[in-house]
Amino acid sequence: MKAIRLSFFHMLKLVRQDRMLLAAGLAPLLAGTAIHFGVPFAEKIRIRFTGLPAILSPYYGLFDVFFSSITPAMFCFIAAMVMLEERDDHIDRYLSVTGLGRNGYIVSRIGFPALAAFGVTAMLLPVFHLTPLSVGAILFLSLTGSLQGVILSLLIVTISSNKLEGMAVTKLASLMMLGAVIPYFVPAPFSFVCSFLPSFWMGKAMMEGTLLYLLPSLAAEGGWIAVLWNPLCKACR
Amino acid sequence: MRFRHLLLWDMRFQARYGFYLLYGFLTALYLLLLVSLPQSWKKNAAAILIFSDPAAMGLFFMGAIVLLEKSQRVTSFFAVSPLSALEYVCAKVLSLSAIGLLVAAVLAAAAGCPSLPSMLVGTFLSSVFFTLTGILIATKITSLNQFLLATVPVEILAFVPAILHLFGIAPAFLRFFPPNVCMDLIAGRGFSVIGLVFTAALILLLFVAACRCVMKMWISAGGVKL
Repeated sequence: MKAIRLSFFHMLKLVRQDRMLLAAGLAPLLAGTAIHFGVPFAEKIRIRFTGLPAILSPYYGLFDVFFSSITPAMFCFIAAMVMLEERDDHIDRYLSVTGLGRNGYIVSRIGFPALAAFGVTAMLLPVFHLTPLSVGAILFLSLTGSLQGVILSLLIVTISSNKLEGMAVTKLASLMMLGAVIPYFVPAPFSFVCSFLPSFWMGKAMMEGTLLYLLPSLAAEGGWIAVLWNPLCKACR
Repeated sequence: MRFRHLLLWDMRFQARYGFYLLYGFLTALYLLLLVSLPQSWKKNAAAILIFSDPAAMGLFFMGAIVLLEKSQRVTSFFAVSPLSALEYVCAKVLSLSAIGLLVAAVLAAAAGCPSLPSMLVGTFLSSVFFTLTGILIATKITSLNQFLLATVPVEILAFVPAILHLFGIAPAFLRFFPPNVCMDLIAGRGFSVIGLVFTAALILLLFVAACRCVMKMWISAGGVKL
């Protein structure tokens, strides 16, 4: 455990040198402020100038889903970039043969950032939410958002063999978050085509106001992690 | 001949690392999005999509391209070859613009863009601007996270005024601002000649700066001045 903790702090040191740590700390606050104050303000201004009925407020739940996905995506993305750098510099294989081990390396680079993202999201969502959220809903969104961040990291690290491919995969993988939009705009049963995306169930839970969708969401995330785990172990060998 | 080889090498490099595959997929996704939008939204949506993605891909990917070249020691070989920094920069700009133009043409055709030549000129100018800015930043960084952070101010300064300008909510004098001129061209709304002159001057300035930065990066390869 000590080795994992030290490895995580080493990563934080690397990220701090790039000033990315400060950015990662500020980004959730800026995104939260923009969503909590900016979106209702934009809606008010639009209604005042056009006189048309509200078009954003029916989708406030969607903004809450996006906010709960942004922080984990950012934390895990930064960690994935560090992993790609370490792979290009062949540091990952050296770390894996130390006391840290391969699993310890993965936990320190993917598990800890996701855990931190869960904590930050669970603390900030009650402040920046747009729709009334129960404690259960906050925990549901934070948990599924963080696991989605883990999947993002796994996809980047397993599919790409270097930084450049990593950037390309990042662009594609971040589209996973758009699954939350599907239940709002695509009618069932067609919308279920995207049920393999965890964000789909997050969007569905917010739209229908039920936490029952935690189970399929966790199942989808478990499926993704199970599929990506072996390729990840091979990639970190 | 040397430049042609370099350009083809850059294109092969981008194909090998999945750029064409990625943009093939993204184009299909954007097409799906454009088709599902109401007719009145399509032109503006296409302009935003083109300006913020295929045209700006140089800014997004340049850090990873240069860092990968550095880690593969390619820059050290460039430093001792007869290749000039101008040829290197031009090859990067043209190879990335080629993908951008292709994707933009498909999206514009799907959205019923009013003027395809104007849109292509706008996409090309935006692509040159973003790629040169990407090169400037990429030559000065040592990690991807540094690059991503350094590109944020450029993205804010380029995207926010251009999108506000597209919807007509930016101050009038900003129509001469280069990203806004490019956005006007992409949206096929005509352009100001003064704005175009400003854009050309900015691109020229960025070209000179990018060539100098590339030369500096090459001669200091490995931490020792050659």
